[in-house]
Amino acid sequence: MSIGEAVTSTSTAEAPDREITATAVEPRQRLHPVTPLLRGLHMLAIVIAVFSWQGYQELGPARWALGALAVLVAALTVAAVSWLTTGYQIHGRELRISEGLLWRRTRAIPLERLQAVDVVRPLLARLTGMAELRLEVIGAFRAEAPLAYLSLPVATRLREHLLSLAGGLDGLTPGQRPVERPVHSVRNGRVLLAQLLTPHTWFVPVGLVVALLPYQRQEVWNLVAVGSMLTAMVGVVQVPIRRIVDDWHFHILEDSAGLRLYHGLLSTRSQTVPRQRIQAVGVTWPLMWRPLGWLQVRMDVAGYGAHDRQAGMNAGVLLPVADRETAHPVLAEVLGAHLLAPPLTPAPTRARWLAPLRYRLLAVGHDRDLVYARDGWLIQRLVITPLARAQSVRVVQGPIQRLLRVADVHVDTAGRLHVVGEHRDVDEAYALAATLASAARAARAREMGAHHRSTSAPTTNTSPT
Amino acid sequence: MTQALALEPSPDTITWRRVSRRLVVIEELQVLASTVVVVAANLAALLFIDNRLPLFVAAVAIAIGLVSAVLVARSVRTWRYAERDDDLLVRHGLFLRRLSIVPYARMQFVDVTAGPLERLFGLATVTMHTAAAASDARIPGLPSVEAARLRDRLSSLGDARSEGL
Repeated sequence: MSIGEAVTSTSTAEAPDREITATAVEPRQRLHPVTPLLRGLHMLAIVIAVFSWQGYQELGPARWALGALAVLVAALTVAAVSWLTTGYQIHGRELRISEGLLWRRTRAIPLERLQAVDVVRPLLARLTGMAELRLEVIGAFRAEAPLAYLSLPVATRLREHLLSLAGGLDGLTPGQRPVERPVHSVRNGRVLLAQLLTPHTWFVPVGLVVALLPYQRQEVWNLVAVGSMLTAMVGVVQVPIRRIVDDWHFHILEDSAGLRLYHGLLSTRSQTVPRQRIQAVGVTWPLMWRPLGWLQVRMDVAGYGAHDRQAGMNAGVLLPVADRETAHPVLAEVLGAHLLAPPLTPAPTRARWLAPLRYRLLAVGHDRDLVYARDGWLIQRLVITPLARAQSVRVVQGPIQRLLRVADVHVDTAGRLHVVGEHRDVDEAYALAATLASAARAARAREMGAHHRSTSAPTTNTSPT
Repeated sequence: MTQALALEPSPDTITWRRVSRRLVVIEELQVLASTVVVVAANLAALLFIDNRLPLFVAAVAIAIGLVSAVLVARSVRTWRYAERDDDLLVRHGLFLRRLSIVPYARMQFVDVTAGPLERLFGLATVTMHTAAAASDARIPGLPSVEAARLRDRLSSLGDARSEGL
């Protein structure tokens, strides 16, 4: 990454040199004026959802409506004040977000640390043409600073701009839309069928029976009873439905900034992931999909969705469902990975003493740019990491492993997926560690070289005027 | 295969450095301290309880203390580290043997810590942090001068070779 350039440009931005500062600092901007209304409605919806049935039962319709109105007014006021005090500003290579009335807080987000930018459109926002911009920053404990809400064109433009400042786009003038090239789209029928073949879905009938049993002897069917029964049912069918809804219209595009994933039925999400930020990719063959030969691909982007449970469920999905033949070109495009014939060497047979069920699948291997590791018994798993992303290489050998003359080789990344070659022959393990360490160095050097060549044009091109 | 030999039993290509022998004393003192605490608590309990159980527990604690004293001494001697041109190698472990290869380019920051016991013996622990928690390279029992030298060298190398993520 262009740390060197980043450092110089921030220091010039901070320097008292008026001219440079003037070009680097953009005027402070507000979120879209509709924001307080949407936020207020959102808060109202949450409050109603929390107090709904019980509150309705105790208060009666009139007082309940009055209470809701009071909450609405309060929520709107709070949202309006927060809108008035929130602003964002691009300052050199930082995005500054200031907020708060009593406790003023300004967060400066260094753009070099930007991992990905998502444009998220919840249902309510979608109806009003608004969008939310989510920035994923390395080292942040949760998805940093959702900018909500911006109008869709503003959000898209800001995303291009931030990504170009972050060094994701090469030599693209701001405002110019990058050319998107379709890579793959997933058929909706498949998503549906794949979700029907998951344990979650198979559990639904059982869950429904358990949820509805208490209402079996209900004598009086009033609004409250129906409502709470519906709530219970929603809880049961929520997971499979949500997966289907989230993965609907899943398509992958590619532009100079990196990968762009679009998906969602009700609330659409478009994620932009710079290619070099992918720490690892995990390919899984779930048990029930095995007869169909289907697999799922998740990607691990550092700091991405790790602390955001709602987004975490889906943030890492690269392919919700695919077969080997369709996944292969996508992975080749994204990482240069070879899914049809990965360069794997199996673990020695004596590994069966330590992994009696998994030893047949245990395998590890590498090519010029990637490390592969296979694992699993009922559920087969393949983890692929670019060598350029490796943080360290480790060899670990336990006492029993020493008796069997085997050792584990770990390739650690900044993400959650690590490549582990379990139970390798001990000589091979140390040799592999040494080779991987030097191959990782070579891969880093190649990447740095490529980056310097492509960004040799001055970065001032991309900075706004 | 030649490279394998280069990493495993530490011949000419890599100059492995050992940590200070005083670290053995520190670790032994820690074992001693925890044993003494357990034994003392059990002897104190003997005053209030009318059976032999605390004596038994104390005996077990002493036995465990003796065994771990031997193991700790041997385990501490297995710490080795080596600075190569591009990466830091750290190796340690008696039963669970570990070797870490951490490139300087991956360094986020370096910590030098010294607890009261370590300070008493003029030792410090250097930890090189990377973006992956699993790959943090920790070297305990370095003489303060060596710790400072290593920190400076690591941070200068880290700056020179930093590549982000």
